[in-house]
Amino acid sequence: MADITQTASSSLLDRLDDAALASAAPTHIELMRELRIKQKPGWTSRLSPSVAAFVTNKKGMAGVIILLAMILFSILAPMFSEYNPHRRAGKPHVAPSYEHVLGTTRMGKDVYTQVAYGGRISLAVGFGAGIAAAAIGLAIGISAGYFGGRVDDILTFFVNVVLVLPGLPLIIVIASLVDSAGPLVIGIVLALTGWGWPARTIRTQTLSLRTREFVLSAELMGEKKWRIIFKEIFPNMLSFFMGGLVLGTISAILAEAALSFIGLGDPNAVTWGTMLYWAQNNMALQTGAWWEIWPPAVAIMLTGAALVMINFAVDEITNPQLKASRGIRRIKRFLRRRGRSADVF
Amino acid sequence: MLYILRRVAFYLAAFFVAVTLNFFIPRIMPGDPSARIIASFQGRLNEAQIEAIRASYGTTGSMWEQYLGYVGQVLRMDFGISTVQFPEPTSSLLFYGATWTLVLVGIAITFAFLIGTMMGIHAAWNRGGFFDSVFTPINVMLNAFTPAVVALLLFYAFSLQLQWFPLGRAHSTGLSPSLSFEFIGNVLYHATLPVLSILIVSFGGWHLGMRNVMINLLNEDFVILARAKGLSDRRVRYRYVARNAILPQITSLALSVGFLLGGALVTEQVFNYPGLGKFTVTAIESRDYSFIQAQLLLLTMSVLVANFLSDIANVVLDPRLRKG
Repeated sequence: MADITQTASSSLLDRLDDAALASAAPTHIELMRELRIKQKPGWTSRLSPSVAAFVTNKKGMAGVIILLAMILFSILAPMFSEYNPHRRAGKPHVAPSYEHVLGTTRMGKDVYTQVAYGGRISLAVGFGAGIAAAAIGLAIGISAGYFGGRVDDILTFFVNVVLVLPGLPLIIVIASLVDSAGPLVIGIVLALTGWGWPARTIRTQTLSLRTREFVLSAELMGEKKWRIIFKEIFPNMLSFFMGGLVLGTISAILAEAALSFIGLGDPNAVTWGTMLYWAQNNMALQTGAWWEIWPPAVAIMLTGAALVMINFAVDEITNPQLKASRGIRRIKRFLRRRGRSADVF
Repeated sequence: MLYILRRVAFYLAAFFVAVTLNFFIPRIMPGDPSARIIASFQGRLNEAQIEAIRASYGTTGSMWEQYLGYVGQVLRMDFGISTVQFPEPTSSLLFYGATWTLVLVGIAITFAFLIGTMMGIHAAWNRGGFFDSVFTPINVMLNAFTPAVVALLLFYAFSLQLQWFPLGRAHSTGLSPSLSFEFIGNVLYHATLPVLSILIVSFGGWHLGMRNVMINLLNEDFVILARAKGLSDRRVRYRYVARNAILPQITSLALSVGFLLGGALVTEQVFNYPGLGKFTVTAIESRDYSFIQAQLLLLTMSVLVANFLSDIANVVLDPRLRKG
């Protein structure tokens, strides 16, 4: 394609004088190079547009790669370490060394092993609660938005109540009543208190979809309601569902860490939160045992950062104006070089 | 006016849902608080003593009677007697702690909202520029760092190592609360690090929220018209775009109050700050159920009040709501 345009223009060039050449319109390939727009790789054309948009998004993919690395690291934990996370593996507070890559805790447990195994539970609680909350939000949001009327009134009331009920204090009430709140209890409660936001956004989106032509035509053709919901509305909600899932997972991981940190969790479980709890209780920082605090802290921060990057990508897909804003500087500069006004932006 | 009335009706209903949850959660769980306490005496109690304990926890009579009794107690702000600080009524402890938490969270939320919103306005106005592409992701990632980690690090660096700030408490032991310059200065000095650790993990959210809403508004017709009229950049930025973009921010500000109060829990624990969170943790450790339940009601109430204030702010800022 590029060759043809080039030969065509070069044969044309012979007959054009220099003055005309200066004002000749650049080809779209030259324009794309000047604006630094890359052509999408060919293989993405087989994917659905929103998936393709995600796969070509650098931030989103970086987040996915970090997250996958964390998940693999914790799933394959036994391959990385021969110690048992619950058992004493050496002397207390040994500094990082060859035997103990990240040192040991005050109880003499291997920190590296604990981070790897703790990731299993922390990530499972986070993703479990995040997925469950987003799924509840999806079901309630779509029902409220699609059925409308009395159903909408009642569901919206519950969505608003869940939004105003403070989550963490409610979990504290529940967790303090069951003897020790294991990760499963914390996960369930986080899922039951976290579906307010996704339900709210999905309801608003459904409301605006309900009056679109493709939904109306499906209704006129006599499609069943559940079929319209699953075939027409649900696919359009996927990115909002993903957004809710990612945010729900972040807040669940942070909430699990916070609850375990203040001592509400099961102190015998190994999660990133309980590791921080023991480090704080054992005065790890005061005694200079930084290796007891940093590894779980970094693990939580890395996971959080990865999820935030994925959320950025999802945001740009659901809201194309945010993505357009990334190239705006180049377009402005381009217009100024051409002597056009760039004030419209 | 109708709008405000509708909202007030909703808040009352939401509060009753919270009260009802608070009533039923302990009763559907295996072993209610009174049963626990009775069990802890291992059969050394006689019938009358057992009956007295059950009565003090409101677990005698039919479910309906218990419920009415509980609602009555809540309305009278009578949350029973604390088992930790024994003769003290729970409510006085609750309000003492709430005052200090309010100091922390109040200062932190104000600064986080102002800093985050201003940064968001700046990032959206120069979208795609250096500030936007560097600080927007960084600020939002700070949001995903646990308050526990940030608080521990600040505590370690500035309280333990550099010793610039005190190791805990809300004010020096020698001072008694007064409205003097010295006392307020002392309180602020003690609150600096706790406030900072809440601030660091919360301003990114306001930054991103404001930026995203602003970017969507920048292409609206009214903004283009304002620029075409030749209004100054400043005026378009603050009076036209930011004023509209801030409406959803205020709504989520009110909703985030509950989340922030929960976050203060961890901060207070690290800095040994005598707020609601610190008392709650003590109450959890000693199974002081009346306090744990009361803190949920108090926090729910503060979220509802915050929401009510945000409704009023919305009506003031958005003339469209005044007609509805």
